[in-house]
Amino acid sequence: MKEFKHFNAYSVDEAVALMGRYGERAAVIAGGTDILGKMKDSILPAYPEALINIKTIDGLSEIKESGGMLKMGALALLADIADNAVIKSKYAALAQAAGRTASPHLRNMGTIGGNICQDIRCWYYRNQNNRFSCLRKKGGRCYAIKGDNRYHSIFGGSVSGGCFAVHPSDTAPALVALDAKIVTSSRTIDAEKFFEVKPVKTTVLKADEIVTGIQVPEPPAGSSSAFLKFALRKSIDFPIVNCAVMLTRKDGKVTAARICLNAVHVIPYRAIKAEQVIIGRVLDEAAAEEAGAAAVAEAKPLEHNKYMVAVARTLVKRAILACAEK
Amino acid sequence: MSKETKNYVCPYCGESHDTQDGLKSHVFKSHKGRGLPTAEGRIKLMINKAEHSFLVEPSWTLYYLIHDILGLTGSKQFCDRGACSSCTMIVDGKPVLSCMMLAIECDGKTVETVEGIAADGHPLIEAYVNNHAMQCGYCTPGFVVASKALLDRNQDPTEEEIVEALAGNLCRCSTYPQHPIAVREAAEKMKAGGVK
Repeated sequence: MKEFKHFNAYSVDEAVALMGRYGERAAVIAGGTDILGKMKDSILPAYPEALINIKTIDGLSEIKESGGMLKMGALALLADIADNAVIKSKYAALAQAAGRTASPHLRNMGTIGGNICQDIRCWYYRNQNNRFSCLRKKGGRCYAIKGDNRYHSIFGGSVSGGCFAVHPSDTAPALVALDAKIVTSSRTIDAEKFFEVKPVKTTVLKADEIVTGIQVPEPPAGSSSAFLKFALRKSIDFPIVNCAVMLTRKDGKVTAARICLNAVHVIPYRAIKAEQVIIGRVLDEAAAEEAGAAAVAEAKPLEHNKYMVAVARTLVKRAILACAEK
Repeated sequence: MSKETKNYVCPYCGESHDTQDGLKSHVFKSHKGRGLPTAEGRIKLMINKAEHSFLVEPSWTLYYLIHDILGLTGSKQFCDRGACSSCTMIVDGKPVLSCMMLAIECDGKTVETVEGIAADGHPLIEAYVNNHAMQCGYCTPGFVVASKALLDRNQDPTEEEIVEALAGNLCRCSTYPQHPIAVREAAEKMKAGGVK
């Protein structure tokens, strides 16, 4: 890696002040499993002048339930979330998502805050030494549209410019399905509205704003949730498609549903059509099948990723049925 | 390298000063109660039960420090991107990837490498040899360290638990079936012999 300055922030204010000073010339480091890879490969046109370590901030790794919600600090480790008894029982989709992220060792390093703030994995974007100056780097074009796009968006490109790189997080769809809120150093944002596609950016965070925690409201009575992931390998791999579902049932019928797919669009994709299909229905194979079809009704795959439509449809169906088992 | 990094930069807020005295008076004024900046990059580590102190560059990974600077060459670098686990070390009791950790952020941590595990005469080493759980041997230290971390927290792991704990370690020679056998043998030996 090239040289850079390194700061340990000891409070959120200190981190924000440092980010204010350096602006876009600095990057935040928590678990480091994403940012260090980007720096080792020099994928971006600009190399960070400074890294601001937030692991030194006390109290940001807590996981606790209070006031009718689950509160997690931004530094809560994915391994701890996956193993937490309360999360496993009440917020199952989140525990399953955290437990399927990366590999066991990486889950001991990676944080929930970092997992939702991670950068895209498009192989043109990630190519070494900024080889493809693509739209996401303020360059001229998207190389995936005519190139190898087997792992790219099946729901179209971004509004601004046409980048087809998918959002790779496993925990993000679980947080959207569970209707979580992202707490930053300056505001609270709905998980669904946290993601945004801009050059060298995947979130709505400003240059001097960091995620400090995540709040998940306790699911209403009669709710259950599930997360499923399709990847080539069981461990280490990023998702080809993943899906999180939370359903609320009363008297055998679905009264509320939140279904979120990820790795299929530039941001986590909430399958509203599928939710509409399943609400009011008795949970059975036919209803789940219909919801799966509705989830991908608006898919417009590229040349090499038509298979992802079938995968997404099946994952929605199976995740709904997994909720029914509980 | 930018000009700013050559100056005296405040470690608390990043403000840069031309002289060390300027920096000192700034820290005294703006960050009361904070120590005056010490030599940048000075870290202390407990490595295999021995205390070490290093002066590190921000860009050094924990792997680089231990393998290239300290000379404990048991851990291996293969992918250098956190995907293969051949550089696994136990840091504060948890198996992590030393290639994706900055040394400067490891101040005060306890690190255990494959050398420490071998020096302790851990039954895993013999079990790995007995069961030939290796072929070229490049990934083996990573597997042994990950298995040691598993046995530390679970002295009687099932085959499924072993497979799960080693799920991040890659072996290009495909020795995967041998690892659960070796780890089980070590666990049995520890149970019978009362080894820690």
